Amino acid sequence: MTTKKKRCFFGMKVDRQLDGDKMNREFLNKVLEEGGEGAAIASCMQCGTCSGGCTNIERMDMSPRTLVLMVQRGEWEKVLKSNMLWLCSSCYICTSRCPRGVRPSDVIEAVKAIAIRQGVENDSTRFNQIFVELVQKRGILFEPELMQKYGGLEAMIEQAELGIKLALKGKMSPLPDKIKNPKKFSEALEKAGKK
Amino acid sequence: MKYSYYPGCSLHTTAKEFDISTKVVMEELGIELKELQDWSCCGGSVAAGVSHDVGMAMAARNVALAQKQNLDLLASCSGCYNKSARAAKALENETEKDRINAILSDMGISVSDYNIRVRNVVDVLVNDLDIASKIKKPLQGLKVACYYGCLLTRPADITGWDSPVFPMSMDKLAQICGAEVVDFRSKTKCCGGPILVSKQEVAFELTKKLLDEAKFLGADCIVLACPLCATNLELRQPDIEKKYNVSYNLPILYITEIIGLALGIKPGKLGLNKHIISPKPVLTKLGI
Repeated sequence: MTTKKKRCFFGMKVDRQLDGDKMNREFLNKVLEEGGEGAAIASCMQCGTCSGGCTNIERMDMSPRTLVLMVQRGEWEKVLKSNMLWLCSSCYICTSRCPRGVRPSDVIEAVKAIAIRQGVENDSTRFNQIFVELVQKRGILFEPELMQKYGGLEAMIEQAELGIKLALKGKMSPLPDKIKNPKKFSEALEKAGKK
Repeated sequence: MKYSYYPGCSLHTTAKEFDISTKVVMEELGIELKELQDWSCCGGSVAAGVSHDVGMAMAARNVALAQKQNLDLLASCSGCYNKSARAAKALENETEKDRINAILSDMGISVSDYNIRVRNVVDVLVNDLDIASKIKKPLQGLKVACYYGCLLTRPADITGWDSPVFPMSMDKLAQICGAEVVDFRSKTKCCGGPILVSKQEVAFELTKKLLDEAKFLGADCIVLACPLCATNLELRQPDIEKKYNVSYNLPILYITEIIGLALGIKPGKLGLNKHIISPKPVLTKLGI
């Protein structure tokens, strides 16, 4: 009779963090170091306000609330597998509503960067990396190149009609723009990205 | 008043009308804009999610350049504004400042201690300037839906000049111009801009909801201040119509364009001829 797993404890879900249980400081600090400095990850009380306002919550396999909990507990594998990192549109609703200054957007941003460095690959990581690579190259983004590098010929054909319309309105230059000293700019950022 | 003006990548390409109308309107209102010399891309919402330091340095570079000119930075694009303001705030934190400085000095740029403010064109228009007394052609009978999206007002500790939950600055500006403002509930919802390419279906679905509500409310156009939102709402509107078998044909205008019209400036001078979705229905309604 007692083999049934307990899912609730006095109405409280078992994945709920009771302030500070199972806190894994090592992993948490890694996220903070990547850039979540201003984020108060440890002070999350699991109220779920972030998830309540989240733009893409219904498409995510892990809510922002759970993500912060997993970061607190150091459950890196679960975090890494989640599609939520790549469905987050960085809209800052969670961050502007959080009553404890956790800044979930900054936590997600930092986790994304760590995931990319650890070799996670998908359409989103590919797009984000190409975007950064191209900005690094000239200092100013050249969108046709971004489309071509990301989507190849297929994307170019699909976007051709819009491209022509934009060109006719003088809104798309055939040649890329660049800053005065792209080499120095690019080298400095490449060095920073490798750290 | 004089500002260091940071157009950013979009305002020189897909959002040219935002660039043109910002310059014309600010000149009309007596604000001098000096384009930030040698500006670079702010890194958008993407760069810091690949590497925090790279993203922050990309944005901070423009702040450092504006510091050199001893002028507050003015950006029209919500993204450029938000990321620059974030970088300016980071530069006030010692640890962040050291990390950013190390990269900028590799670029040959030094950060001075002279702190500048990063402003958005909507903030300056609504809080600093007197537009009401300069209205020549009130936008009588025009129904507009003001759309704020994400980065213009969020998060409040970076922006701070309008509510992140219920912003009203553009609504006020539109009202000053004589337009009727509809109660656009989706005004702070996200259009999915940063994930438009990698998760196109999601972005289309989010954008469709915005178009649906604006249409339902009977708005003649959506008014906004973000080129990325405009990419979804205007440039991809035909794709969304096709995908969902609906018809919107809803003009998308920048806030500076409708202010320019109310100031009596000719549509051609404001760049209104540059739209992919023709703003003609709006002009016809106004009798221009």
